[in-house]
Amino acid sequence: MGGPDMAPQTPQRSEAPRPSRGAPRQARGAPRSPYRLLALGVPLAMLALWQVASRFDHPEFVLSPIEIARHFVEALRSGELLPHVGASLVRSLPGFVVGSLVGVVLGLLAGVARSMDQLLSPVVFLTYPVPKIVFLPIVMLWVGIGDLSKIVVIALACFYPCFINAYYGARGTPTIMVWSSLNMGARRSQIFRKVVVPSALPLVFAGLRVSLALSFILLFSTEMINARSGLGFLIRQSESSLRFDLMYVAIVAVAALGYAGDRLLLLVRRRALAWQEVTSR
Amino acid sequence: MSVLWPDAVSVLRRLALLALGALVWELVARSGMFSPIIVPSITRIGRELWWLAIRPESLVEAWYSVQRALSGFALAAVAGVALGVLMGRSALAAAVLGPLFSGTYPIPKIALFPIFIYLFGIGSLSKVVLIFLECLYPIVVTTQAGSRGVNRVLLWSAANMGASRARILWRIVVPAAAPFIFAGFRIALPIAMIVVIITEMISSADGLGYLVMYSLASFKTDRMLAVVVAIALLGVSLDWLVVRLRDRLVFWERLDSYYAD
Repeated sequence: MGGPDMAPQTPQRSEAPRPSRGAPRQARGAPRSPYRLLALGVPLAMLALWQVASRFDHPEFVLSPIEIARHFVEALRSGELLPHVGASLVRSLPGFVVGSLVGVVLGLLAGVARSMDQLLSPVVFLTYPVPKIVFLPIVMLWVGIGDLSKIVVIALACFYPCFINAYYGARGTPTIMVWSSLNMGARRSQIFRKVVVPSALPLVFAGLRVSLALSFILLFSTEMINARSGLGFLIRQSESSLRFDLMYVAIVAVAALGYAGDRLLLLVRRRALAWQEVTSR
Repeated sequence: MSVLWPDAVSVLRRLALLALGALVWELVARSGMFSPIIVPSITRIGRELWWLAIRPESLVEAWYSVQRALSGFALAAVAGVALGVLMGRSALAAAVLGPLFSGTYPIPKIALFPIFIYLFGIGSLSKVVLIFLECLYPIVVTTQAGSRGVNRVLLWSAANMGASRARILWRIVVPAAAPFIFAGFRIALPIAMIVVIITEMISSADGLGYLVMYSLASFKTDRMLAVVVAIALLGVSLDWLVVRLRDRLVFWERLDSYYAD
């Protein structure tokens, strides 16, 4: 189920508004049963190999998978982990929601209105390759060293992929559909709601997915740079106090959060784009 | 209206927001409402930027960052294109590697940085490895999508004319997937810049990310913002280079980029 899901993320900005390219781009299909077994087997085999390898002489900072799992359960019980998870989510979710919402709305507007396009696009596309993390210090000076500075930087980083994908999504609306709805007497607002937004939706979700991944990257790096709580802080602190068990627990928690968030977004996308799944197959 | 030199009015209109922002910034800075540490004026930032550009020490810092970003990116480009083509053209490779990639894709690799510091040392290597890992995913995903969609007629004709499998991959699949590969490069290169700056901010004694933190710690915010501007210019020019390279190599398809006009 994983492979084909990742494909829609591909067309980021340049290749976006180009639906068909010669060859039928059917996915090679979901893995059939012998392959599915293999797909499950390879990660399991790697874990097993890691477990076996850890029986031999190894440095102190390498833990075996079973040990990590045991420490994870322990940390969950003792309450060492959950407060940090909460602190991280309080920072990342508002940043992600605000940044991607503003990005999608402005991107759609810039995609349909020329005046917005000329106002916003040059600024957005020129500042797009700038690593947003560099704004953390200056934002820290303005709004303080607390959670707000992290939320602002995360929102800023989430803005860009959403804006760019929504922009190309809106611009890629088939002209014939706009013409037909005009012909049938639709108002501009109706066209925007019923034609432009749905046809931009696949790319909007691609942008949301990139933003979600970015929000986690930014979250952990801002927390590693300065924080008193959160998973990034936990990783950094347990590393410097040589508590490798806790470090691995935090890393696993980070991985689980990132994975769960991504799956949740894909689930929402599958529901929102149910019509597209039918037409594209 | 020529493509290269649009008329002055449209340039002005396009840059209106930037100019307005700069104007407001300068007015706020000059008004004395805030301390120059919090909002340094643009003239001071410009002077610091000039200092950065002419002093060899700061150029060396920039060179460290660029070197790290580009070596991680280059490794990821080579490995990513190879893996992506393999996964795009072989069902077996896709079945074995696909779940591995899609399963670990949403995991923020930055969390592994402390482990990498222990494994590869606190110098450049741990940063390059992290950049490699972060850049690998977008390149693999786009290359796979591109090499999957290669026109069958091209493959059949090449096979018909007696091309070996390796030759088909190199002469047909890679060029046909090139637009996708470059789309992946354009996603990966800003990621390389992000990761190099982040890792240098977290733990380093050189590079531009370190310079940002160092200037902040010594309350030289004008210098810090000058470094930020320098990083921005670096990011834009690297992206510009990739687009130029793409337009050279993929000459049969025009890219709708912002550098053309």
